[in-house]
Amino acid sequence: MTETRYSYTRLRGERVEISEILSSRIENMRKLLLGNEAIAQAAIESGVGVVCGYPGTPSTEILETAARLKADAPNLYIEWSTNEKAAVEVAAGAAYSGVRVLVTMKQVGLNVASDPVMCLSYIGVKGGMVIVVADDPGPISSQTEQDTRHFAEYAHIPVLDPSSPEEAYLMTKAAFLMSQRLGKPVILRPTTKVCHASATIQIAEYRIQNIEDRYSPLRGEHCDDLKDLHRELPAGAPRFVKDPRWVIFPPLAYRRHNEIAEMLQKESESATEFDKFYNEHSRYGIAAGGVTWAILNDVLIDLDVIISRLKIGRPHPAPLRLADTFLAETECVLVLEELDPVIEDILISRKGVIGRDIQIMGKRSGFVSHAGELLYADIKKYVCDFLGLSNHDNEEDLIAAPDCTPVRAPVLCAGCPHRASFYAVKTAAKGKNPIYCGDIGCYTLGNAKPLETTDTCLCMGAGITIAQGIKHSNPDTTVFGFIGDSTFFASGITGLANAVYNNVDVNIIILDNRITAMTGGQPHPGTGKTMMNTDSPPIDIEAVVKALGVGFVKKCNPFDQVSAVETVKSAVDFNGTSVVIFEAPCINLIKKPKLYTVEGCIGCMRCVNEIGCPSIFVEDKTAKINSDLCYGCGLCQYVCKAGKIKEVTL
Amino acid sequence: MNIVISGVGGQGTILASKILAEAAKQSGAEFVRTGETIGMSQRGGSVLSFLREGNISSPYIQKGGADLLLSFELCEGARNLPYLKKGGNAVINTAKIKPLSVSLGNAVYDEAAITGYINENSSATFIDAEKIAVSLGNAKCINIVMLGAAFGKGFLNFGKETLIEAIKSTVKPQFTELNINAFEKGIEATEL
Repeated sequence: MTETRYSYTRLRGERVEISEILSSRIENMRKLLLGNEAIAQAAIESGVGVVCGYPGTPSTEILETAARLKADAPNLYIEWSTNEKAAVEVAAGAAYSGVRVLVTMKQVGLNVASDPVMCLSYIGVKGGMVIVVADDPGPISSQTEQDTRHFAEYAHIPVLDPSSPEEAYLMTKAAFLMSQRLGKPVILRPTTKVCHASATIQIAEYRIQNIEDRYSPLRGEHCDDLKDLHRELPAGAPRFVKDPRWVIFPPLAYRRHNEIAEMLQKESESATEFDKFYNEHSRYGIAAGGVTWAILNDVLIDLDVIISRLKIGRPHPAPLRLADTFLAETECVLVLEELDPVIEDILISRKGVIGRDIQIMGKRSGFVSHAGELLYADIKKYVCDFLGLSNHDNEEDLIAAPDCTPVRAPVLCAGCPHRASFYAVKTAAKGKNPIYCGDIGCYTLGNAKPLETTDTCLCMGAGITIAQGIKHSNPDTTVFGFIGDSTFFASGITGLANAVYNNVDVNIIILDNRITAMTGGQPHPGTGKTMMNTDSPPIDIEAVVKALGVGFVKKCNPFDQVSAVETVKSAVDFNGTSVVIFEAPCINLIKKPKLYTVEGCIGCMRCVNEIGCPSIFVEDKTAKINSDLCYGCGLCQYVCKAGKIKEVTL
Repeated sequence: MNIVISGVGGQGTILASKILAEAAKQSGAEFVRTGETIGMSQRGGSVLSFLREGNISSPYIQKGGADLLLSFELCEGARNLPYLKKGGNAVINTAKIKPLSVSLGNAVYDEAAITGYINENSSATFIDAEKIAVSLGNAKCINIVMLGAAFGKGFLNFGKETLIEAIKSTVKPQFTELNINAFEKGIEATEL
C-alpha cells in the first residue's frame, strides 16, 4: 500500500491536497476530462456497481462515459432507465443491498424522481448512493431555473456543489464516502458550466478507496486489494437482507424525521474539505459557490483585489461554524451564486444567530439578478460596484459589438422526420384552427416559423394531458397532442390511459424517430438496445397504444405525405381518442440516402415558406439547396408545385 | 493563452478545441481548461468554445480577453469578434451558413457589412476553408483546415509535430489521413 497525495489548484497559488490510500501498482495519470467525464471516472474509481439515469442536458455524458469505462469495471450494471423515477428506484434497490450506486439526471428530471428521493432520506441506503442532478442556469436547454440545492434541503439530503471539473471529480468520491458514512443518499449538483467544461485532471488508474472507508461496495466487507472489486461475486456474498428498516410506515417516518434533523445538525457543525474561509482580514468579504467561485477568483486576480472569501462547497447542511467565523470577521458581505439565494439565506440566518450587524448584499437585497448565469462580466461588475471600484472596461479597449449579424436560432435538422410529421398534421388540419400541444424533445422546435405547430409546452408528457384539458374547455376545437418515442415511454403512457378511459376526443401524434434524439441519441425501450450492449425485444408502441384500448391507431411514414395527411384527417374525424404514430428514423441513425437540387427555380419561395428546411437558402431571388446539409428527405420536392426540385443519387 | 473558437452546430468546433487542448497538454502546459456552450447547438445553433491554459480558475474568457479567435463561419466570426483583444489574431472562414431566419426574410445576411465590420475592428485573416475541405472530398474537415491556417499564420504556440500528434490522438482512426491532409492544406493556404 502506498499513500499518495492528490492535489489540484483551487485558487491561483494555492493547492489543496487530499490524501488517499491507493492499492499497489498505481500509476497517476493526467487526463483532459469534461466535468461529466470526471464524475463518471470518479464513480468507477469509487467502485460503483450500478449506474442508472435518464438523459437530459447537461447531465447526459456522465452515464455515457461510465458505459465507455465499463471495461475497467466488469461487474458494473448500467442502464438508461425509462425515466428518472425508475432510475432512482432501481438504484435504491441496489443500494439497499450494499452496492454503491450512481444516478444521473438533469434538474427537471429530479421533479419526476422526487417521490422516491423524498422518501429515501427517511429510509436511507446501505451502499453509497450518489444522485447527480445537473442544474442549468441560463437556462440554456431547460424549462426552469430551479435550484437543486434547495431541493436537497427540502428532501433533507446533503448536497455538494462543484466549482470545476476537478472538484466534481473529488466531490464524487467524497459523496460516496459521505453517503456510506451517513447511510443516506448524497446529491452532487454540477451546473452546465461545470458539466461541459474540461480540465486536466489527475486521476488514478485503478479505483481508490479512502483510508477510513476501505470497504468493498459489492460485498459489504473489508477489502485490501482494490482489484478484488472487479472479481466475480463469491458465493454467499451478502445480498439484500430483510429488515423492517426498508419498509416506510408512519411510525418509522416519525422516528427517522428526528434522526435526520439531528444528523444534519451534527454535520453542519463541521465543514468539508470543499468549504473554506480564506481570511484576508478585510472588512469586506465575498461568499460564493459553484462555478461562480471559480470565475470570481479570476476576476479578483484580474482586478488585483485581495479580499476575504467564503467558499461553500456543501450548501446543505451548510457549514455553520465556518459561516459564523466569516461573518464575525467581516462587516459587509457580497454573495455571488447562480439561481436561488441559498448561500445568502444561510448567511442572513447566521447573522441573526450571532447577532452582528452585517450588511449582506445579494439577491435578497436586490443587488444581484435572480435569473440567468453569472458570467465574468456580471461578476466583475458586481465586485466593482460592491467595492466602489470603477469598472475598468474602457469602451475603447473593447471591440464594439456588431449590429449586422443575423440571429441564429436552433432548428429541426435538414431531413428531420418531425418536419414532415408537423407539415402533414398542419395540412390535414387546414381551416380547422386547431390547437397544438407540444412536448419536450427536438420537436419542441416545431413552435418556430414557418411550421408553428407547438402552442403549448410544459414538461415531459404534458402534451397528451394538456390537450385533454384544452378539449374539455374548447369542445368545438380540434386538439392535437404531440409526443416523442422516448418521452412516450418516460411519461406518456399514463396520460394516454387517462385520455382513453375518460373518452376524450383528442388526436395524439407520436413522433417515433427510434431514438432519444434531443440529448444525442440514447436508446429507450422502443429501440431494442441496452447500455449493457445487449439486444432486447423492443416494446412496440403501436401494440401498447392498442392494448390501452385506443379506438383509432394508425402507423405511417411521415415522408409519404399523401397517406400521412389522409391518416391525420381520419384521426380527426374519429370520435374519441385517436393515435397516429409517425415512424421514421432520426437522420443521425441513417446514412444520407440521396440529395436534392433545384433546377430552374421560378422564385415562388413556397419551399422556404412552407417547411423551413435549413438546407434551403435564397440567392438571387431563387431557392438553392446546400448539398452538404441536405439529407435527401424529399419533403421540398413534394412541396414544390413547379416541379423544379430534382433528386440526385449519391 | 486564451483562444475562442466559434461556428455553427455540426462544424466540429468542440473537436478543434479538444485537439488544441491536447496539443497544449502535450507541450507541457500544467493546466488546460476548455468550456463550451453546446445545449441546443446540435440543431444548427451557434457554438462557442473556449480554451485557456495557464494559471486560471475558470475556462470562460471575457470580452476583450482572447488572444486568438478562430471562426468556422463568417457571421459567427463577426458575432464573436468582441471576445478578441484589440490587436489579437483572428482566422475566419469565409464560407457562409445562412440561418433560417434569413431565408424566411426575417433577418438579413449582409456579407459586405459583416466583412467590413471584421476588417474595421481587426486584422483578421480570411480563408475559404470550405473550398479546401471540399477539394479534399469532405466538407467536415473545415475545422482541421482552420487549425492548419492558424498554425501557418504562426498564431499557435505549438510545434507542428505536437499538433499532428494531437490530431492523431483525437480524431477517429479512419479519418486520420484526411485530417492530416486538411491540416497541411490549411498551412499551405496561408503561404499563398
